[in-house]
Amino acid sequence: MSVLQETISEETVRELSEARDEPDWLLETRLDALEALDDVDFPDVIRTPGRMWTNLADLDYESMVDPFSQTETKEWEADEGIDVLPFHEAVEHEESLVRDAFGSVVDPETNHLTALSTALFTTGTVVYVPEGVDAEDVTIRTTMNGRSLFNYTLVVTEQSASVTILERQDSGEDLDGARYYSGLTEIVGGENAYVQYGSLQDLDQTTYNYQLKEADIDTYGTVDFIDVNIGSRLTKASVESHLNGDSSESKMVGAFYGHEDQHFDIDARVWHNAEHTTADLVTRGVIDDEARSVYEGVQNVGAGAWDTNSYQRENTLMLSDESEADASPKLIINNHDTEASHSATVGQVDQQDLFYMTSRGVDERLARNMLVEGFYVPVLEEIEVEELREDLTERVRERLQSRD
Amino acid sequence: MATLELKNLHAEVAEEGGETILRGVDLEVSSGEIHALMGPNGSGKSTTAKIIAGHPAYEVTEGEVLIHLGADEFGEDFDIPEEKRTWDLLDLEPNERAALGVFLAFQYPAEIEGVTMVNFLRTALNAKLEEREELFEDEDEEAEAEAEATNEDAAGYESSPMEGPADEGEVGVAEFQELLAEKMEQLDMDERFAQRYLNAGFSGGEKKQNEVLQAAILEPSVAVLDEIDSGLDIDRLQDVSRGINALRDETGTGILQITHYQRILDYVEPDHVHIMLDGQVVKSGGPELAEQLEDEGYDWIREEAFEAA
Repeated sequence: MSVLQETISEETVRELSEARDEPDWLLETRLDALEALDDVDFPDVIRTPGRMWTNLADLDYESMVDPFSQTETKEWEADEGIDVLPFHEAVEHEESLVRDAFGSVVDPETNHLTALSTALFTTGTVVYVPEGVDAEDVTIRTTMNGRSLFNYTLVVTEQSASVTILERQDSGEDLDGARYYSGLTEIVGGENAYVQYGSLQDLDQTTYNYQLKEADIDTYGTVDFIDVNIGSRLTKASVESHLNGDSSESKMVGAFYGHEDQHFDIDARVWHNAEHTTADLVTRGVIDDEARSVYEGVQNVGAGAWDTNSYQRENTLMLSDESEADASPKLIINNHDTEASHSATVGQVDQQDLFYMTSRGVDERLARNMLVEGFYVPVLEEIEVEELREDLTERVRERLQSRD
Repeated sequence: MATLELKNLHAEVAEEGGETILRGVDLEVSSGEIHALMGPNGSGKSTTAKIIAGHPAYEVTEGEVLIHLGADEFGEDFDIPEEKRTWDLLDLEPNERAALGVFLAFQYPAEIEGVTMVNFLRTALNAKLEEREELFEDEDEEAEAEAEATNEDAAGYESSPMEGPADEGEVGVAEFQELLAEKMEQLDMDERFAQRYLNAGFSGGEKKQNEVLQAAILEPSVAVLDEIDSGLDIDRLQDVSRGINALRDETGTGILQITHYQRILDYVEPDHVHIMLDGQVVKSGGPELAEQLEDEGYDWIREEAFEAA
């Protein structure tokens, strides 16, 4: 069922790999992924009666994916003491590290789009934080210039290492027609390690965007996600944490703001696979104009996950009558020794709140803007990287100010 | 000197076949006066308060809500021309009414997460002063200001909602913080409240205290206090009462106090007491009227009103 049999052949993949002097194991992994395209499905999406919210299979990949037009500008910033390397440099200098970790968290054959990404990616970053090293503020900026871009990020933290990462994507000059961005992120959270991985997706509104970010978290480890989606024409983005070690934790924070005809399909999923684990899922989204959003959050509590704490709340705020939203929080409990909650709401700006504020002298437009900005505060409070906090605030404000 | 005047006010719930709630309310509250508006549940007291402030849930079918302003109501430097001394509030948005000196203390104040008290109050104070300038601008100035406004950024404050607004507007951050600290002290409020989100997680009493604080900051000409005394323990009742008296004595605010109970009237002594029944003010008198109600309930008023009809 590959949608791309014409453009993507074994030769294509071999050519991409050879041009980058890749070792055999990586070429083999790519070829396996290519072969799997025919066997694996598109990512799961929400269905409500009579409706599939995000139809990934029907997108026109033929016109969007051009394996040889992948150009981008990348910038890296990092402290001393850790390695932040372009992917192919890392393959050269830290081959065994990359080889061990590559594909260990995100299985390339998870779905059709992960397989496509693995077969075709040309750029990426490896962040390696050795044992005991405390690294602040790694920043990875990717500006997409071509028709399509397949990006890959690997974060490996050893025991008691700690790192704060901001990875952001935006677009360079405009192109006619649709574009495609795909990004896979794997995070190996070591024993007692701490990672905050923040992401700001601000691609232009002609871009179809697929992203999967997944973390394996060892004993006493913490991996927190901040997943912010502002740009793109359509986004399918999943953030997934596997709490594999006892007493591991994950906070999964999301924010999105859709306007015009943007479409966001956002997932957050956690698996409690060990004892005394904690997860906290918080997502806040705003949609305006004719934008659509659909959210699915899943907390899986395994049979062996004694003493689990798992919380989930999602709130979508609709600013227009034409926008549409759906939200589905799910809680699957296989161990009774669990404290859990899950909730989701879809609503509009509260009229009583507005009246309260306007009665004190603030005009309705400013009152509404203050309420919307305030709505994101639970997300902003979690963000450790100042650049991400400021940019989210700024982008939200720009959108609000551009409203009629 | 300002006077809020309700003339033959009729109103119903703003929906198809909405219930009629007010059936001709007449009331006048002037600067420096304290009026108590009493009456049984469902008599229309809260509706009256909300209509004065411009709540969208009610539709006025007859009558007027006017504010009359003296030439120097907004200070000696702010000269109000003859033709702009009387306004029909029903033609105005809630924020414009606030700019003309109207304040409503809510019975159930909204809890607003993500907007700090200090941020909100300074924004409100500056917005009110700015709106006032606009309302009293003559036509030439108006055109000029509009041209200017198109060059300015649209609504929004410049820094993060967590940190509060940047130093813009008529009242700057430092000046405002001083004012806020002073008013909070008068009300015996912990200064940490300033950094908390507006009413979020406040106790019932803290919310009421916060309503009085906001009135103290915004210095209204007329304040309508909708059951400001409900849910207050005796200490807080005294704090709140002190705040209301200060509002009258220091700012010259006229107070319309809606209450069920005599209790707060021991601390905030009314000059006038009005009794509402079935959407009308059926009896007005001095403070003794409230005492009589406390002793005898509303039945005698009902009988009197019935006989008069």
